[in-house]
Amino acid sequence: MNHRTTRRLLEYCFTVWVIVTLNFALPRVMPGDPFLHLSADEGDEVAAFSRAQQDYYNSQYGLDRPLAEQYAVYLSALFRADLGYSIYYNQGVTAMLLRRLPWTLLLVTVAVAASSVAGCLLGSLSAYCRGRWQDRWLYPVMIAVSEIPAFLLGLVFLFTLAAGLKLFPLSGAMTHFAVYDGVIDKIMDIARHAVLPVLTLTVVRTGGMYLLARNSMTTVLARDYIRTARAKGLHPVRILMRHTLRNAMLPIATRIFLSLGGLVGGAILVENVFAYPGLGRLMRDAVLVHDYPLIQGIFLLITVSVLSANFIADLVYGRLDPRIRETAGVTP
Amino acid sequence: MLAVKDLSIIYTGVRPHVPAAMNISFSLAAGESLGIIGESGCGKTTLALGIMGLLHGADIRGSIMFQGRELTTMTSARRRTFRWRNIAMVFQNSLEVFNPVITIGEQLTEPLCTHLGLSPKAAHQRVAELLALTGLDPRWQTGFAHQLSGGMRQRALIAMALGCEPDILIVDEPTTSLDPESRQAILDLIETLQRRLGFAMILISHHLPAVQRLTSRLMTMYAGRAVEYGITAGILRNPLHPYTRGLINAAPDFFPFKDLWGIAGAPPKPGTVEGCAFAPRCCQAGHQCTRQRPELAAVGVERRVACHKGGIETVLQAIGVKKSYRLGERKVPALNGVSLNVRKGEVVALVGPSGSGKSTLAHILVQVVAADAGEVLFCGRPVHKYTATSMMNGIQIVFQDPGEAVSHRFSVLDAVREPLDIMGWQDRPRRDRKAVDALGAMHLPISPDFLSRTCHALSGGQRQRVAVARALVTDPAVLVADEITAMLDPSTQAVMLRELKAQQHERGFSMLFISHDIHLARKIADRVYVLDKGSIIEHGAVFEVLGGSIHRHGRTNYCGHV
Amino acid sequence: MSCGPAACTLPLPKARPSIRLTSGGRFGLAVLGLVCVLALAAPLVCGHSHRQATGTPLAAPDRHHWMGTDELGVDLWAQVCFGARVSLIVGAGTALMAGFGGAAVGILAGYRGGWTDRLCMRLIDILLVLPDLPVMIVLAAFLGPSVGTIIVVLSAFSWVFTARVVRSRVLSLKQRRYIQASESYGAGVWYLLRRHFLPEIFPLASVGMIRLAGRAIVAEAGLSFLGLGDPTSRSWGMIIHHALGFRGIYYTDYWKWWLLFPWLALTLVVTSLALLGKDLEKAADPRVRTH
Repeated sequence: MNHRTTRRLLEYCFTVWVIVTLNFALPRVMPGDPFLHLSADEGDEVAAFSRAQQDYYNSQYGLDRPLAEQYAVYLSALFRADLGYSIYYNQGVTAMLLRRLPWTLLLVTVAVAASSVAGCLLGSLSAYCRGRWQDRWLYPVMIAVSEIPAFLLGLVFLFTLAAGLKLFPLSGAMTHFAVYDGVIDKIMDIARHAVLPVLTLTVVRTGGMYLLARNSMTTVLARDYIRTARAKGLHPVRILMRHTLRNAMLPIATRIFLSLGGLVGGAILVENVFAYPGLGRLMRDAVLVHDYPLIQGIFLLITVSVLSANFIADLVYGRLDPRIRETAGVTP
Repeated sequence: MLAVKDLSIIYTGVRPHVPAAMNISFSLAAGESLGIIGESGCGKTTLALGIMGLLHGADIRGSIMFQGRELTTMTSARRRTFRWRNIAMVFQNSLEVFNPVITIGEQLTEPLCTHLGLSPKAAHQRVAELLALTGLDPRWQTGFAHQLSGGMRQRALIAMALGCEPDILIVDEPTTSLDPESRQAILDLIETLQRRLGFAMILISHHLPAVQRLTSRLMTMYAGRAVEYGITAGILRNPLHPYTRGLINAAPDFFPFKDLWGIAGAPPKPGTVEGCAFAPRCCQAGHQCTRQRPELAAVGVERRVACHKGGIETVLQAIGVKKSYRLGERKVPALNGVSLNVRKGEVVALVGPSGSGKSTLAHILVQVVAADAGEVLFCGRPVHKYTATSMMNGIQIVFQDPGEAVSHRFSVLDAVREPLDIMGWQDRPRRDRKAVDALGAMHLPISPDFLSRTCHALSGGQRQRVAVARALVTDPAVLVADEITAMLDPSTQAVMLRELKAQQHERGFSMLFISHDIHLARKIADRVYVLDKGSIIEHGAVFEVLGGSIHRHGRTNYCGHV
Repeated sequence: MSCGPAACTLPLPKARPSIRLTSGGRFGLAVLGLVCVLALAAPLVCGHSHRQATGTPLAAPDRHHWMGTDELGVDLWAQVCFGARVSLIVGAGTALMAGFGGAAVGILAGYRGGWTDRLCMRLIDILLVLPDLPVMIVLAAFLGPSVGTIIVVLSAFSWVFTARVVRSRVLSLKQRRYIQASESYGAGVWYLLRRHFLPEIFPLASVGMIRLAGRAIVAEAGLSFLGLGDPTSRSWGMIIHHALGFRGIYYTDYWKWWLLFPWLALTLVVTSLALLGKDLEKAADPRVRTH
């Protein structure tokens, strides 16, 4: 670990600390009482708890103790991966999150992989055929695609492919009460359910990746060193693989990680479109029933994951570019 | 070995299409070297890339024959095998010329593995040798481009280009952005390597000393066309195209003492000019030049010029001029058969000690004094008594003594207008305007008060300027300036000469600058004649005769004569 | 010598961005104009109330109800027109707040430098890496849903984009010789702002604001779609939310008009903003223009 990495790590730790503290402070500094909305109906702000009940909850959650003490308790709980207890579901938040996390991870990772591959391929094609018909068609289409919000696109898929053509299930991650003949059957069922959410996220993200890849490839292809490589009579494949892609990949690789934040937002919405039982769906349910510990837990998990992804992006960039490595103090 | 014939490169990717290089022909034998010079954007690099076959979106016509094989019609895969193996290029140095994320070593081994089929290990061995050959520590193999200094990168570029021992090396601006020391080192390196490895070379450079040193032939390009082609030494000593002369005259390496004056105007976009592309900037452009494009035509042994006038015209010529004065019984020879020529748009200095016959020659040129023998030609025609001086666009002289130069009774305006009055040029208001313009050109006041002032009220410097204005008012083709600043103080002299030079630069007339002061001559002149005891003892480009340059070819030190 | 007469008298090329809209940009501008007009004149162009039932529930589009009705029989055309108001208010409000706020912070950070800059950059970095939607959900959950809250929350997270761009432009401007020259003549902060910084930054900031408006409209629609929007407003996202809440929506044809029209409206506005933004971006940034 070199100097630069350490510094970036410290910066990220600071950011995480800010978020954790924010998470702690938010319910406490908000106007009104966190229990005011508890189990109240949507838009109905009548407290459903008596004074005595509120006092009971206050003491149970330690809200009657000094702030510093609350903070310390909160932090120590965090270190034990204890995110509190869901009021509505009557379960430990951590356990709930762990149950939902795989579904969201499935959507996000597949979408990231698929959209990165598709975006890079199309972007490279566009850059390579710059000014020709391929590029002239792809570019405006991709701009439009990159701007359509994920949930709107999801709705289109939902109503055409699932509700209309009945090609895919409408909701959920697995068929309810299904009895599977074997593992393969189960995987197929999961895959069938995941197709539409993944497709939505992929298409939405492909636009952005395409624009980035196209821009990056075009820039690299115009560089002097590509001309040098061609002048050397190298095989075109080598020029593409060794000289062009590696340089063009630098910004793309970082963007893949950096865009996770936006993708998580999209995933939350898309999960709700397809009633997919991931974290996003859970978050919305938690908000609707005002289950604050659960909301906070999800929020913390998502933000810390996104931050980690950003940190990885930083590391990757430093690894790939010798110029950055240089400033980091590692001389080859 | 390489024969380029009628090569035209037209960029078709932009509208309107840009003809970046047109009808270029040259040939290159093994071991020979060709220099290509020209201002930025004249198509030098395009030509190089065209020969390498590296241009996208360009229409290439004509033929490039390499060892009897036509390169332009080859498939790209076939062409690729010639690149670097046979024709390699040292690209212009920049940070981006090497891939920033691949080590220098790997980039050097690539062509070795591709073309010579070396194993990676053998290739690395070879790269180490190459780096050592170019004077770079082989350890830099593991380095990246951004870690190398400009000079080191240039060496690495050369090492990379030489990897496959190419037959032809194209070198693009090898010395730009290098300090003088590294510049010299790189030139040394290229010279040594060429001698040792025997490759043919095409050198593209702004830097004339590099071209002078490394090349045997030279091609000047302007707006995509070759305008002059010949032996390097011959062209540099005696350029025939006004453009080549302009380039040489603007080179501080050749004229370390002269004021810097570039070629007035800017090059046109290639393909936008009807006739000769240089015509708008040329001092001798005629009607034909703006209508018809001149072809590159032979004008002498090993010399071709694209100019309707066959190169720079001679405007004033003295052939075998003799003159002697009678001193009682004795005949004192003043000039013993002096020949001299002044070409369009150049400043020629005639220097020599007092009594060497400079003024006599000047007076003979303008026919104030008649010669005993010999001939004076103006634009190729013999001059008879005042024919050349009594016309617009003729010859004018400015004399040494400002006190005598203009009548002290004349008003300033009358004095300047006088030649026009005498020649009966157009009408009075236009004469007045022209006279006022001439005064303004010499930075004299043009207020009514000054114009009506009589000349005796003027200072010496002002009076001399009025004399110059009077000469310029006829738009002379040749101005003979006979020691015009000899009686002025240094500051007035400096101001006056700068103004005169600026006028010469702008209007493009020729000037014969007569002076005994070689420092002054070095400041202003392009060529020089040294007159001593009535004979021309030496003549040539200022940097050859008066020295001060780092390139002293057959220089005899005139300083000893004065 | 370095500055010959020719070099001194050369006319300096005037950096005047010419805004030439492509067909896409013109389309965007037209759509946005139309939506603005519809939103402003909503009571005039709608023959029916957007809150009360005026027809049979779930009617198909006909002469009275151009877009049909929802499950209560409320006219959808009126809902879409009034919904445009919410979207535009959220978009414009966020763009103005975040745009001006971000530009101010950017100028301050870039011009002052030092710890001000470091502090701002740290804050910007933190806000940039935070995934915005979850944060907005959490804040909306805690603050209670209302259009005002949504605008404030959106602004709080969007100003960083403008601030970052403006800051880097100010930083590069500060290095320009002409700014240094002005300073050496004794120009004050206000003079520099007025004569040098603002004219350079304005096009940048306006492009940024268009993007912010697009983001804000999408974010509001997303929140409403999740049921976290202002329950008293009838924004496009809310219409979609209600439509999806209707049980039979997947198995009937009602979605065709109930969902389709707000969906179309949202997509059109967002794409229009994007197309317009792309064109303006080209005009504002000469580097993009060359690509």
